[in-house]
Amino acid sequence: MSDRFTGTTGTSLVGGTERHASRSLSTLFASVAGVAAALALAPLWVGDSRVLMGVAVLGLTFACYTIGFNLIFGSTGQLFLCVGALAGIGGYSGAILADTVGLSIIVSVLLATLAAGLSGGLLSWIAVRRSLGVIFTGIITLIFSLTFETLLLGLGELTGGENGFLIESGSDTFLREQIPPYYLMLALVASFLLVHGLLRRSHIGWAFRALRDDEVAAELAGVNVARYRIYAGLIGSAMLGMAGATYAFTEGRISPNTFGFAEVDVVVIVMLAFGGIGTLFGPILGAVTFTIIDEVLIEFGQLRLVILGALIVVLFLWIPRGVVPTVRSTVEKRRRRKSDDSQPDQDQQETLQPLGEMNNKGG
Amino acid sequence: MLEVRGFSAGYQGNNVVHDVSFRVDKGEAVMIIGSNGAGKTTLFRAMCGLLASSAGEVLFKGDDIAGRPAQRLVRLGLGFVPAERHLFPRMTVQEHLTLGAYPKRPERETMSTVLDLFPRLAERRKQHAGTMSGGEQQMLAVGRALMAKPQLLVLDEPTTGLAPKLAHEAYEALDVLRRDGLTVLVAEQQVPLAMAFSDRGYVLENGLIRLEGTSEELAENPEVRQAYLGVT
Amino acid sequence: MTAVILDGMVLGLQFGLLATGLTLVYGLGGVLNLAYGQMAVISAMVVLFAMDAGIPVLPAVGIGLVAGGLIGLFLDLTIMRPIYRAQGEARVLLSLLLTLGVAFIVDGFLNWRYPLKALNLFIGGGAVEILGVPMRRGSLWASGITLVTFAILFAFFRFTNLGRAVRSVIEDEEGAKLVGIDPRRMLRLILVLSGVLAALVAITRSMVIPVDVQAGFSITVFALIVAVVGGLGSVPGALLAGIILGIINTIAATYIGTFLSLVILLVAAAVTILIRPSGLLGVKG
Repeated sequence: MSDRFTGTTGTSLVGGTERHASRSLSTLFASVAGVAAALALAPLWVGDSRVLMGVAVLGLTFACYTIGFNLIFGSTGQLFLCVGALAGIGGYSGAILADTVGLSIIVSVLLATLAAGLSGGLLSWIAVRRSLGVIFTGIITLIFSLTFETLLLGLGELTGGENGFLIESGSDTFLREQIPPYYLMLALVASFLLVHGLLRRSHIGWAFRALRDDEVAAELAGVNVARYRIYAGLIGSAMLGMAGATYAFTEGRISPNTFGFAEVDVVVIVMLAFGGIGTLFGPILGAVTFTIIDEVLIEFGQLRLVILGALIVVLFLWIPRGVVPTVRSTVEKRRRRKSDDSQPDQDQQETLQPLGEMNNKGG
Repeated sequence: MLEVRGFSAGYQGNNVVHDVSFRVDKGEAVMIIGSNGAGKTTLFRAMCGLLASSAGEVLFKGDDIAGRPAQRLVRLGLGFVPAERHLFPRMTVQEHLTLGAYPKRPERETMSTVLDLFPRLAERRKQHAGTMSGGEQQMLAVGRALMAKPQLLVLDEPTTGLAPKLAHEAYEALDVLRRDGLTVLVAEQQVPLAMAFSDRGYVLENGLIRLEGTSEELAENPEVRQAYLGVT
Repeated sequence: MTAVILDGMVLGLQFGLLATGLTLVYGLGGVLNLAYGQMAVISAMVVLFAMDAGIPVLPAVGIGLVAGGLIGLFLDLTIMRPIYRAQGEARVLLSLLLTLGVAFIVDGFLNWRYPLKALNLFIGGGAVEILGVPMRRGSLWASGITLVTFAILFAFFRFTNLGRAVRSVIEDEEGAKLVGIDPRRMLRLILVLSGVLAALVAITRSMVIPVDVQAGFSITVFALIVAVVGGLGSVPGALLAGIILGIINTIAATYIGTFLSLVILLVAAAVTILIRPSGLLGVKG
């Protein structure tokens, strides 16, 4: 029955390797461990440069952001254009709770995570209740982002406004040293990867795949689409908040620019799209690649934005589904060609299709 | 006028319609009958350029139009009224009919012919298509296609959702057009109506043409009687 | 209070015209053009350079308008092709990302090369009294031109065959194909038109306050918000939403303060979208 359904509704392949999610538990742990180990080696090269270590920590932070966004957007198709704002809720809540209210760092981070998670969950709930499509979810969350940024600037007494917030808590701990924050962030990245990987293998992951392939069919099959969207919003946003809060304490200073739309959201979208929306390791690939690219580009000063823009255009024209899916399908095509010459080519998608085709406009 | 040879089409590499061949001669009324999911809509949409085909030819007046985008077919004389109609909800009946003749200006004669054929449309000239009933919308869809003065009119399930009286009226209108020289190809689930109207027919099942013949022959065929005419 | 409302209407008309370009392109092609603000800024810069080169104001403005149209055409010939190959939501996302990339390229280049440039079309002469409120001539000219443009657009869409054809693609792309209209060609036309409109807004805005090189992204954001509140694809909606939001913004800015006024505007927009996602005059669904 589902075959006929997809035939008449014309749904498409989902970008990403979600289809291949049946890797075993041990494979999951092994691959995450492998990636973590590889990343753990980075301080060997850049450990003595304070600046470069700072970049590396930021890069891992962005990896966390991208994993969170991947969970929200890649798994359930909710275009949250408020990644920076949610991370900022984490960052600023943590800072305010620790410095102004006087709670311990750990409690502050946990509460900040909760705040961000609930905010994201609320956004998902609103989007679900009002049946907002992708674009409208994007617009509402964009408005949320802009409002948050404006409030940060306006509520100067609480947040430090334009000048930012100097975080005193933790300034005498390992958090402000050169190398330990890197491993702290790496621990976060690894655990987020595990959470995502485990989710994919669970019934939640199954529900995500179903609702992304064909929402109508999923509802008919008994998947409560609304509930799973909210789950994704909650968990993903919690990740964003935790990463934002942790980063804040390692940096010691945050300002509205740290979590701005242009600084965070745009970069995260590019990182994820590059790596592969919906894949497990795509975010890591994207984050590492673009952190390096960004560092290289600093030399170019103002032209940085131009080159970034050009990269975006070239990227989406050439590999619209992202690196991981494109590589996978190329490998599979070669494998298939070797075994069976007469197989028709199924991967004719030239265009970006993370959410499936629809014959009507979204919105 | 229309000859389809070895035609296959579907979605995402999976064919829904396999190696279909049939023809419609000038002045004929031909029906394609089949149950839900047989592939009639896919066939017509692919034939008329709204969906890509994977194999075969569609010869319209000798010219192979397979793969040509839909917007280029009107000027060749092919009018298509799909099952979903695809009307313009916030535009008026008048605007629909005027657009039907695009890019030319509508001829007064054609306009009055269409409005005579569908008096209900004439009453509602300024009404928005989105506010009209199913039957009126169907009439508008056909009227719009007629404004281009097509030589072949292809209709996909024109009576879906129409009350029996309206369905009869629809086929009566088509009959009038036929007598004026229009060639008609219609896909139908409501077989008795189509049968009374058509000269010849084809039975489509699971994307394959299984039977063909004149309307009389098909009416006598026991399989057809059982499957589509409700006779046991 | 009257002064505030009138000022709000001046701003609102500009919002409306600005949103019109964006909403038409979306309504027609399901494409979100995030490089829209940059199109406006480039056109403004073209006018500036033309005037610097000694060309008198009116021809310079004309050149600016042509430039806007050409940019639209350029976009159509380059990135619209792959975008149009996609369908539905994939198309919106791809358009979003590709136009964002283009926006970065243009914005980065302009800010790098001409960081301090701004277009300022000052219209001399004293203030004119409208309803007892002294209004600057610049504002009046800007509003007048905007109103005339809207009238021309209205006539175009209502009374010309081409205008109807464009509307039909907005209503139902497949239906338009059935009557022989090529949606791709209509999109090209509308992209060029949106470029001209962007240029026009930049030029008229510069009669009120200077338009600088950094304005690109904020122009796009305002255009997007107004377009969405008015209903994506609806020109009358863009006008209505523009005026309403313009008045709200000005009232808030006058009585409460610029900071909160932006928040109020954003929240007002969000509330409207949530209550009626299809926008004020949009079609449901």
